[in-house]
Amino acid sequence: MNRKNKTQPDQQPEPPRWAEWLMTRITAPHLRNEVLGDMYELFQTRSQQYGHTPAQLLYVLEMLLLLHPRLWRRQPQVTPFFPQSTYYSPPNPMTMLSNYVRIAWRKLNRHKSYTLINVVSLSLGIACAILIFTLVNYHLSFDTFHAHQDRIYRIYTELHTDKITYSTGVPNPMGEAFRKGYSVADKVGRIAFLKKRVVSLSPEKKFEQDVAFADSEFLDIFNFPLVQGNPKTALQDRNTALITERVAKQYFGDKDPIGQILHIDGSLIVKVTGVLKDLPATTDFRSEVYLPYDNLQEHSPWLVEKDWWVGFNKEMQCFIRLKPDVSAEVVDAKILPAITDKYYDKANAKLFHFNLQPLSDVHFNPKLRGYTEKKNLWTFALIGLFLVVTACVNFINLATAQALGRSKEVGVRKALGSERGALFWQFITETALIAGLAMIIAVALAYLLLPFVNQWFDIQLVLNPLADAQLLAFLVGLLLIVVFCSGAYPGLILARFQPVLALKGKLSQRAVGGFSLRKGLVVTQFAISQLLIIGTLIITNQLRYSQQADMGFQKDAIVILPVPDNKTSKINTLGTQLSEQAGVENVTFFDSPPATEFLASTSFRFDTRPENEKFNISMKAGDHRYIPTFKIPILAGRNLAPSDTIGEYLLNETAVKALGLASLQDVIGKAATINGRKGTIVGVMKDFHFKSFRVAVEPLCLTTWGELYNSCGVKINPANLRTTLAGFEKAWTAMYPSSIYTYRFLDEDIERFYKLDTMLLRLIQAFAAIAIFVGCLGLYGLVSFMAAQKTKEIGVRKVLGASTTSILWLFGKEFSRLLLIAFLLAAPLAWWVMSNWLNSFVYRIELGAGIFVLAILITVLVALLTVSFRSVKAALMNPVKTLRTE
Amino acid sequence: MKGTQLGEFEEIVLLTIARLYDDAYGVAVLEELSERLERHMSLGVVHRTLQRLEEKGLVHSRFSEPIAERGGRSKRLFTVTMTGEQALREARRIRNELWDGIPKTAFDHQP
Repeated sequence: MNRKNKTQPDQQPEPPRWAEWLMTRITAPHLRNEVLGDMYELFQTRSQQYGHTPAQLLYVLEMLLLLHPRLWRRQPQVTPFFPQSTYYSPPNPMTMLSNYVRIAWRKLNRHKSYTLINVVSLSLGIACAILIFTLVNYHLSFDTFHAHQDRIYRIYTELHTDKITYSTGVPNPMGEAFRKGYSVADKVGRIAFLKKRVVSLSPEKKFEQDVAFADSEFLDIFNFPLVQGNPKTALQDRNTALITERVAKQYFGDKDPIGQILHIDGSLIVKVTGVLKDLPATTDFRSEVYLPYDNLQEHSPWLVEKDWWVGFNKEMQCFIRLKPDVSAEVVDAKILPAITDKYYDKANAKLFHFNLQPLSDVHFNPKLRGYTEKKNLWTFALIGLFLVVTACVNFINLATAQALGRSKEVGVRKALGSERGALFWQFITETALIAGLAMIIAVALAYLLLPFVNQWFDIQLVLNPLADAQLLAFLVGLLLIVVFCSGAYPGLILARFQPVLALKGKLSQRAVGGFSLRKGLVVTQFAISQLLIIGTLIITNQLRYSQQADMGFQKDAIVILPVPDNKTSKINTLGTQLSEQAGVENVTFFDSPPATEFLASTSFRFDTRPENEKFNISMKAGDHRYIPTFKIPILAGRNLAPSDTIGEYLLNETAVKALGLASLQDVIGKAATINGRKGTIVGVMKDFHFKSFRVAVEPLCLTTWGELYNSCGVKINPANLRTTLAGFEKAWTAMYPSSIYTYRFLDEDIERFYKLDTMLLRLIQAFAAIAIFVGCLGLYGLVSFMAAQKTKEIGVRKVLGASTTSILWLFGKEFSRLLLIAFLLAAPLAWWVMSNWLNSFVYRIELGAGIFVLAILITVLVALLTVSFRSVKAALMNPVKTLRTE
Repeated sequence: MKGTQLGEFEEIVLLTIARLYDDAYGVAVLEELSERLERHMSLGVVHRTLQRLEEKGLVHSRFSEPIAERGGRSKRLFTVTMTGEQALREARRIRNELWDGIPKTAFDHQP
């Protein structure tokens, strides 16, 4: 009744809109007008008679009673007796679909090898594309889930000495200075990431865990929600901790984690007050235990000295969220330099530069320890695209090669009155069947390969097209593109055939479309395959060189143990205990082994010179057994004397050269002030690679400095490795009961420097293999095409007495030419790309002609196999069969 | 011929069309029939019959101008074709003959 009042008296009542809409959809077009008109009219009469609502009900009832095949059956087709008749309408392609599918299925079934090649090459290409898409998408989505992520920045440090070095860390007072002095940021969050701390619940229950000390504002900046606890007060009170769900489960099982006590590194005692939702896979901030920043004072006071502006650590970071109307450029140009001017003296203000790094750059800036560069991701994407495109190209090649064979079919169809459109759709359907099949196989293949990809890249990708809308859209889009790209061209070509010519079998090759275009594509395919082969060869060689080359010190059979507590007495006892074990040759304590990834450099004043040297020098702390353990040769003077404090320095050759002295002997006995600490230079050691091969050897000094020792290196006799290692564990655990025993081998450590390169190598190998394979399929397609064309020529030649080899050469010379052109394109490009890559290594292999020769040999061999496979078949064919058709 | 065979309901509809001359369309036929037969019938039934009649060539249809009361849609107006007329007359003839042939005693029912 309500509704009646709402209806305006002068307004026509309307039937239910949904029902009307439904009727429009159901009714056949030629009936729509009258049926809906009748319904409408009836409704109007009824609503006057019985009221609005009953009329509506009757309308729906009437609709249900109308439902009958007659209602939706299309107008009976009038046979176009006269083609110009107005009744004639072109057939709807969709109604022909079942017919298309049936015919396509028969065709594919008949040409099994053709179908197989296409399905295999397409599914390989698509599988790679899927994996690459998932990978690229995964990396692009890093840390994009934070609220206002476009306003989040990290302050980073540029140190301008004789060269510029970058660090993700800032001096400790930076955060406070920024927060107090300037109002451009909503939030300022300092955070210190500490790796591999010991978190213990009880003396027996210990875990090695990365922890982070963070300001409470850190959680406002980043979107890591709490599932338990109060986000407002989290990280505000001292001696509290936030842990993730995963860690809570690991530590406490099913117990309620809130209120539990954790001991950090045996000293700091904190109470769990909150549980964080598990971190998403796509974040670079992987700490799972958060402690209040204020507690850092007790844990590592040297990190948080109040006015310590001149030192910083890469793990001491500062994040800010700018106010919406503040631009990062202004902060970079005005505020950060102002901070430098305010807090630094003149000399240091020149050295320290601070800038903002957008959050979106954190994952992609290798200078600031980001994972990779975006351009690498785009390279991957490009390779994926290339693989799909070549698969499509092969498809086109094979399909057009087949076109000649099918010309008669097309002729008959056309003569029987098939429309060009219908023929086109016929071929599209065929392609769609192949592509659909390939797509299914590709998804399955991607599933199978995913674990390997995850292992290679050390990530956790998941593939679930049903839950991942982006992936689903990508798959559907890819399928459509593949179908239309590879189906349209052959379809158009075939549909264009003149029926008379096609039936006579007199189609020239020009009618089948640009042969030279397809030659060009094959050349491109092979150029890229060769590029990848050359890349693979060069990277393999370089990596082997880096891993096997003499780094200037002994790296085999050296076990490195961490030293959690470096009190002299403890170290000495441990040293003695270890050296007493069977199979131990030498024991040394140090802060870093000869080769490390990062080593800070510091100022150096030589002898009585009035000013610091222009160059900086890196420093390693190691005891007197460092040199003999790692077998580093002493070129002048002597080894360090046993001591715990800085008294003597050993320089490397490069440092002496940098000092500008003629002879190594000149430094012996001279004073040196390094990092503000004075000592005597007692000897010169031979240069060794204390970083990776990517960088040149720089000035280095070695000194005894007990406070810094954090590791113990043991040179062992690998004969009884297991018992030796077990003995180490026993001695070590007895010494450090509250810590967790770990060990590693030095050579494994060094291999880790080249982790990214090894990854790159595997990837390129995989891509090269696929590219060669797909390229060969392309060649196969082209040879099939040529063979189909030259059937008669070959027949005539054979009849006239040509030998099989001479016929093979008919194909061979064509392809040798194509391969040679491909090589001429690929070689300079490969040379350019790879010498760029090699340039990132200071010590590297030479780019010799050998690699190029090898590359072309490999391609020629593979191509030869492919070509001969098809051309032998063509050459051996019985000429009687091929010529009889005339 | 099967095409000219008339069903009973078809015959009634065809007669209605003839009677409604020049204003025979779905709703009009429906209302006329409902009134005469004194029972409700659905548009669907009428509609299908009209279609069938047209397919058999018994009626011819054309469209009227669009009409506001029908929500701007036109009517499909039916007229009886020559074949239709013949079919009706044939039906009538058969009935008449049947009527004429009924013996007088046929309706003398037993009590």
